[in-house]
Amino acid sequence: MGKTIMVVDDSASLRQVVGIALKGAGYDVIEGRDGVDALSKCTGQKIHLVVCDVNMPNMDGITFVKQFKQLPNYKFTPVIMLTTESQESKKEEGKAAGAKAWVVKPFKPEVLLGAVAKLVLP
Amino acid sequence: MISQSGLRSKTVVSFGLAAAGALGTIVAGWSAWGWATLIWAALLLAAAAWLTRDSGFAPASASGDNAMIDNYLEGRERFGDAVLPVWCRHIENSRTQMEEAVSDLASRFSSIVDKLDNALHVSGGSGQGDHAMTEVFSHSEQRLGSVVASMKSAMASKHAMLAQIKDLERFTRELRGMAEGVASIAAQTNLLALNAAIEAARAGPAGAGFAVVATEVRMLSMRSAETGKEITNRVGLISSAILAASQAAEQSSDAEDKSMQSAEGMIEAVLNEFREMTDALVQSSALLKQESIGIQGEVGQALVQLQFQDRVSQVMSHVRANMEQLLPLLRENRQRYIDSGVLEPLDPDLLMHDLQKTYAMAEEHAVHSGARLAAPAASEADEITFF
Repeated sequence: MGKTIMVVDDSASLRQVVGIALKGAGYDVIEGRDGVDALSKCTGQKIHLVVCDVNMPNMDGITFVKQFKQLPNYKFTPVIMLTTESQESKKEEGKAAGAKAWVVKPFKPEVLLGAVAKLVLP
Repeated sequence: MISQSGLRSKTVVSFGLAAAGALGTIVAGWSAWGWATLIWAALLLAAAAWLTRDSGFAPASASGDNAMIDNYLEGRERFGDAVLPVWCRHIENSRTQMEEAVSDLASRFSSIVDKLDNALHVSGGSGQGDHAMTEVFSHSEQRLGSVVASMKSAMASKHAMLAQIKDLERFTRELRGMAEGVASIAAQTNLLALNAAIEAARAGPAGAGFAVVATEVRMLSMRSAETGKEITNRVGLISSAILAASQAAEQSSDAEDKSMQSAEGMIEAVLNEFREMTDALVQSSALLKQESIGIQGEVGQALVQLQFQDRVSQVMSHVRANMEQLLPLLRENRQRYIDSGVLEPLDPDLLMHDLQKTYAMAEEHAVHSGARLAAPAASEADEITFF
């Protein structure tokens, strides 16, 4: 059974792009349209890693990560922020929320996969 | 900034000065000039009225200008009300269409990659197929080789049997010689028996017993001669049969040799064709694998390029949201004029500041400052920040 990665982004095309890269590397993918939608899909199943955008409607990525980390099953699940934001202050917010890495869009699939392979839970 | 009260005060001052001048002229010159002074004062007032009309500050014209300003501001608001939502809808519609199209494009790329993987898997381009095909060929070659070997072994047995049959001919020749030897002994014995009979007759009655023996010996020699002939005949028959069998076996062996050579040649030809076919398949699957890797690389590059949609979509959303703020700004500007009589110019910094606050990308800030930028390059591995 493959490892499961949750992709949270309000852009359907970005979710597709990230999904293609991850599925091509053998991962199973769950998608969330925004923070609220993603949290509703965290029902206790094993999630080995989360790839999350920052600027999203309804609930932004930083808030999502904070709330996601409060859930007992996902306390140790690593999160990679994948965003167009490159400001250091934003990165600090991400770090404080519990993210493990920050990748700026646009990204190369192999670069994202490298970060995923480094952080994904066994 | 021009206030309504400022306009009015300037108008009142100008007109008041003209009226005061006219009144002074009347008072000072009535006694001396009489009606001429009155006419001069009237001219002064008329000139003052004309001047204030030209400057737009006359009380009657000021109310008209205020109405014009009101109309202008209301018209400006209507203009914004009519134009801005349409602009915003176009931007949003284009953004949505672009997102759907790029999403569909990404989905199609995904489908292409999946199909390519499946084709590669089915054709054996993954490497396992090549190995399996080589194994099948090797196994088939071994099995066919063992069939050829067992046929050759059977042929060797037949050749050995043929040699043994040919050896039988030699035995029959020996037997024939032995039979001839028996016939010769029988003839000599017969001659001896004849001589013995002659000698017995010459001996008279004393040789009567010996004559009986000689007769018996002669009969035995004759039977031996007959037996020798019989042996010779039988050996001849056997020899003929063996010869016929030997010739038939030899002909059969020759035919089988030719068949064997033909079969061996055909097996070799089939194996060669099979080898060529498997080599071609292995080469084509290797080529397919190579092409597949190339296409996957191209798709990877396309995936990087497709991310422009996310960035452009964000920029369009930011600009649209900023444009939507223009109408409330126009309303507020007009309301402030109505409430306070102060006509303020529109301040672009209000909108620009709000727009800047929405920027998420460094390129947005750069473009805002007037820079013309190419699309940003994709992040490299060393650009990832690990916490």
